Amino acid sequence: MDDQADFLLPSPSLSPPPRPINRARTRPPNPQVQQYIEETLKSVASQILSEGQPAITLKRRVKRSNCTFIVNPSNGSLESTEAEKNITYTWPGKDGYEAWRFDVALRILSAIHKAVNSGLVISKRDIYYSDPIRFQSQSIVDIFVDDFALTIGVDRSELNVEAAAKGLVTGYYQLITTTDEVIDARASTKDCLIPRVEDISRIDTADVDWAVFRRLSRSNFHLRAAAGKGILITGKGYPDLETRAFIRKLSNSILPSPSSPDKAPRFYALVDGDPDGMSIMSTYKYGSMAHTRENNRLNLPCLRWLGLRMSDVVEGSQLGSDESLITLSKRDRRKIVSMLAKSPVWAVDGPELEWRVELQRMLMLNVKAEIEIEYDRVGGLEGWIDREMAREE
Amino acid sequence: MSKQYLSYGSADNTHPTDVFSLAVTNKQILSASGSNALQVHSTTDPDFPLVQDLEAHKVGCHHVVTDGKGSRAVSVGFGGEVVIWASHDGTWSKTKDVALADVWAVALSADGQHLAGATQNGHIKVWNLDANEEEIRDHETQGSFGTCIDLSPDGRFIASGHESGSVYIFSTETGRMPFSLSGLVKPVRAVAFSPGGKFLAAAGDSRVIVLYDTSSGEQVASLTGHSAWILTLSWSHTGEYLLSGSFDGKVKVWSIDTRNCVATHSETEKAIWSVKWLPKVGKSEGFATAGASRSIAFYREATGG
Repeated sequence: MDDQADFLLPSPSLSPPPRPINRARTRPPNPQVQQYIEETLKSVASQILSEGQPAITLKRRVKRSNCTFIVNPSNGSLESTEAEKNITYTWPGKDGYEAWRFDVALRILSAIHKAVNSGLVISKRDIYYSDPIRFQSQSIVDIFVDDFALTIGVDRSELNVEAAAKGLVTGYYQLITTTDEVIDARASTKDCLIPRVEDISRIDTADVDWAVFRRLSRSNFHLRAAAGKGILITGKGYPDLETRAFIRKLSNSILPSPSSPDKAPRFYALVDGDPDGMSIMSTYKYGSMAHTRENNRLNLPCLRWLGLRMSDVVEGSQLGSDESLITLSKRDRRKIVSMLAKSPVWAVDGPELEWRVELQRMLMLNVKAEIEIEYDRVGGLEGWIDREMAREE
Repeated sequence: MSKQYLSYGSADNTHPTDVFSLAVTNKQILSASGSNALQVHSTTDPDFPLVQDLEAHKVGCHHVVTDGKGSRAVSVGFGGEVVIWASHDGTWSKTKDVALADVWAVALSADGQHLAGATQNGHIKVWNLDANEEEIRDHETQGSFGTCIDLSPDGRFIASGHESGSVYIFSTETGRMPFSLSGLVKPVRAVAFSPGGKFLAAAGDSRVIVLYDTSSGEQVASLTGHSAWILTLSWSHTGEYLLSGSFDGKVKVWSIDTRNCVATHSETEKAIWSVKWLPKVGKSEGFATAGASRSIAFYREATGG
């Protein structure tokens, strides 16, 4: 531990906390990272001084169309057989484009260098907004940061660069940070941004009977649900890596209580009854096709599907109230077919036959529905969730 | 007067996912599901044994139809692919894999030569399967998703049902609509001509079955009783009875003479995607049902004795 770390931790009495310890180092710089950066910068500098051609070579993962995806049966994560290729950026290169690419690579490396040396965590967004005209787009920054991590052979968090968090959490838990500070969210009714998992030592969920919700932010439901106290989390659409890492950490923190092992907290996904909803749930449970390398430490095999199912929607619709159903767009239909054809999660010999059928039923009926449809039903959304959870028991 | 139909067997959990479509020949029943294979079961053996698996549709199959002789079948997969099958002595083999616009629902003429299809953008098309799937008709409607289609037994008319609730009839000879039908207010999910061609039945999310007189286009009856979306219809061979299946698992038999429901089956609460009358054996008529229960259930008329 680095005793000098200056945590900008809010007082535990402030409830709820804003995002804790946002810009603090939680461990000493990784020597492998420091060594790579220093050697690379030194070689670039000496080439410039000797009027040679400085070069930076980075590894990059090849595009998804070239690789096969599988669901690893041992850990339930979506993985791929992907190849890596080397790309060399040189200065001045043969044209302005090559010169620009080298410049971008060098500037991003410098930003990482500064972050690692100072111990401050920066975001990909910080790097982009330091010079948006030069970087041209956020995705260029994202790609280079990932390529540096791959080339050095470490996780991106070792570079002190994080993705800007967007997920929200509220619920009945206490966080114990790596500096033994306690953040108590139990009495709070407000949500807060997903904390960095690197800052969390453990999560105390001793009194929680059930756990994860997505896309539900009704006030206090986590305290008064029929199934018990819980935690609500939303990734606001497709979850970012931070949100997934937080939930994974939560799942690792939760153990069945010895007195009633059958009452172990459960993780539920509540998603819209549309292709994106199903795809978001798959991202939480198995991982994303874009980050297959990280899926095995972020997937959540115990995730259960709470809803929204086509059958609930259609059966529950009273005569004359089918208006809340929405016709699938052409994009929805294309997306469903692409999910069925490309990802092993939905394959006929895959792990989620019920999910496969759900997508096919959407195609058959040509309808989708959003969670909000349950607002107008008996007992509202909360009543519906309580009933669904009771049915799951 | 009510009728009794007795369950006399089933092919249980035969598909790993929902069965979306059934097609019958004299001796077999073909089933299409969300798996990657069609299945063929024998209907002459009381155990309904599986006789063939036809692998063809990787992302699942939603329609399968057969011609009158049982020598040709066509299946349409969720990926949009259309497969033409041929049967020799009861064994099916793939003839061709074709792409036919964005066709969704299909119907095959009795002689197997013509395939009629309703497309996702509301076109009604006819292809000649004996001439390299040449497109010989293309009727444009108002662009609403074509959910279902049927050919009259004499081949003179095509009817289509659409998501908008519209129902259309086209003459295959002139390519024109002889009259416009009143349609339903909600998506239509099944249309079916009676064996004599006198009636057209249409049903869907409105939970009623509407009967049209095909000589005038007038709506002559509306059969009410289902309390969920109606997904499938089938006429008995004599035209005396109409069979319907709905999203809540109910199967109903309707008398066309009295316009009443004469039998209701509710063995499952899971959606019935397809119902089909079976070829008559002796005096007794029977039918098959399939859907989200993933089994194919067989029923026979209880003969008084």
